[in-house]
Amino acid sequence: MDMLNNLLEGFRIALSLKNIYLCFIGCLWGTMVGVLPGIGPLAGIALLIPATFGMDATGAIIMLSGIYYGAMYGGSTTSILMNIPGESASVVTCIDGYQMTRKGRGGAALFIAAWGSWIGGTLGIIGLMFLAPFLANFAVKFGPPEMFAVLLIAFILLGSLGKGSFFKTVPMIFLGLLVGTIGMDPLTGAMRFTHGIKDLYDGIGFIPVAMGAFGIGEILTSTEESLVRAVHKVKLRELLPSREELRASWGPIIRGTGIGFFIGLLPGSAHVLSSFASYTVEKRLAKRPEEFGTGRIEGVAGPETANNAASQSAMIPFLGLGIPTGPATAVMMIALLIHGVRPGPLFISEQPQVFWSLVASMYIGNVILIILNLPLVGIFINLLRVPFRILFPLILLICLIGTYAVNSSTVELVILLTCGVMGYLFRKLEFDVAPFILAIIIGPTLENAFRWSLMRSAGSFAIFVHSPITAVLITLSGLLLIWNVYRTLRPKRDWERALEEE
Amino acid sequence: MTKERGGSIIFLAAGLYGLVFSLGLPMGRWNEPGPGVFPLAISILLCLSGILWFIRGGKGGETSVIAVRQGFLQQYTTVIRIVGLTALFIGLLEPLGYLVTSILYLFALFFWVSRYRVWSAAAMAVACGAGSWLFFEKLLTTPLPKGLWPL
Repeated sequence: MDMLNNLLEGFRIALSLKNIYLCFIGCLWGTMVGVLPGIGPLAGIALLIPATFGMDATGAIIMLSGIYYGAMYGGSTTSILMNIPGESASVVTCIDGYQMTRKGRGGAALFIAAWGSWIGGTLGIIGLMFLAPFLANFAVKFGPPEMFAVLLIAFILLGSLGKGSFFKTVPMIFLGLLVGTIGMDPLTGAMRFTHGIKDLYDGIGFIPVAMGAFGIGEILTSTEESLVRAVHKVKLRELLPSREELRASWGPIIRGTGIGFFIGLLPGSAHVLSSFASYTVEKRLAKRPEEFGTGRIEGVAGPETANNAASQSAMIPFLGLGIPTGPATAVMMIALLIHGVRPGPLFISEQPQVFWSLVASMYIGNVILIILNLPLVGIFINLLRVPFRILFPLILLICLIGTYAVNSSTVELVILLTCGVMGYLFRKLEFDVAPFILAIIIGPTLENAFRWSLMRSAGSFAIFVHSPITAVLITLSGLLLIWNVYRTLRPKRDWERALEEE
Repeated sequence: MTKERGGSIIFLAAGLYGLVFSLGLPMGRWNEPGPGVFPLAISILLCLSGILWFIRGGKGGETSVIAVRQGFLQQYTTVIRIVGLTALFIGLLEPLGYLVTSILYLFALFFWVSRYRVWSAAAMAVACGAGSWLFFEKLLTTPLPKGLWPL
């Protein structure tokens, strides 16, 4: 009953004209960044952070969340119509989505992608409503040892589930942890790795690092490829799928929701992983798996549903525990901190109006997105007609000015460019950048939890196995580590090799 | 050079840097770990990762991706140009102001990287530079450097 009252109050706040407008702007901008290759939800959120300075926290998070889940909708448009993933989570949609376009069924693919996204997103929000408060209430009892154990297992999971092998992801996590120590030590006030540069006293800015590694790094990589592709037109009447396509898509949508919701709770590139996992499951369950890759609707319905469900469930550890599980939620965390809102166990109980109005706005946002992505899809397709050689200078300029606008610091622009070059290099060397970014933001919490725990226990490491929660989590961490070593040493199975190839 | 070795060099360099500078920080005691403990531990792990990948890179690692050979610069011309122009933008942003610097930056990118003709590049640079200035400075009220022209 409490939950219902809270949700109604949330709707009352979210349905104000101002918040509907902000939700619409977020969804529109999110769809645009999802459609445009070279700029993803992370850059999209970071660019609008300065625009939130004059807003209240509720309005700011409504708009920024709209960008986040809106990008998941938009990314499928270019995947289906142009065989170019607009967003990394839509990579697998290219496989069957584009083939459907070539057969003249692009409109149906767009419809099913949007429809599945709406269902996955809506069910994901329902899960968020129930699980986030439960998790927050549970986590309020956490002390530093429990927080350390949770973050340790989160990092090991990040290594296990990232792109590439565990031992390829782990050095990126270490690098991010080291970069995260730059600045003033919060416990002693000592300066670490600042070399007298005042702009670094507060730590290395997360936004220039993330925008550089993802935004500029992505642009530098994209300029090496030719992006001259045909854009297939879709008429409004072609959007409707046939009865067989609708019937065939229900199973993948339901399964995709479950897969995406569960994987979204885990740290790492959850929305990417969930779409791949869903595709693999649908292929294994199909009566004729050899037809996947030739334009099967299941290959679009499942992955697109999964990545939207994952984007909603990723908000659960973010809001309930204060642990962003992906780069985009990490940037949202920065934005919320700027507004004096700290996601975590106390967030829902101390600021229920922000949480419940966010939940309510997600329902509204999903409706806005289905309108934007179906009848108005033609508007976004026209964006793709702008040649990339015109777009990329504008995107670079936006990244630069978006970073400068936060603190008016040219040191942060230097960091932006340096991280851009590093992001480019890591892409060339095939090392995953996302764990590096996450480690920068979560690393300081891990370190503080570790040091506080030892201070409490007078230097005894037994504190990390003292309580049942820590004992279980530390044991699980150890087992996961052993499993990853075993997985690295044993030969790859056929399905793992096949998934890598796809 | 293999991809693994390329990555290992970055990890080793970062690890050694962290090691050298964290040794100068207070380590504290077991019951009160100092600010140097965590960066030292991470730096050691980074160095070990770097060594591991350096060794692995020599044993049938993936084929070269960054070939330091004749023609190296030509292969990465576009990337080098973009990075160079962006560095110039950063250097000139506060002295010259956003409006002038953004127009010059966009012109250089449109003309030198995107290979548009001079007048097309100039027209697009002025339109996009001025448009972005209006959007950020006036619409979003983002404080931008004024430089030589206090607009």
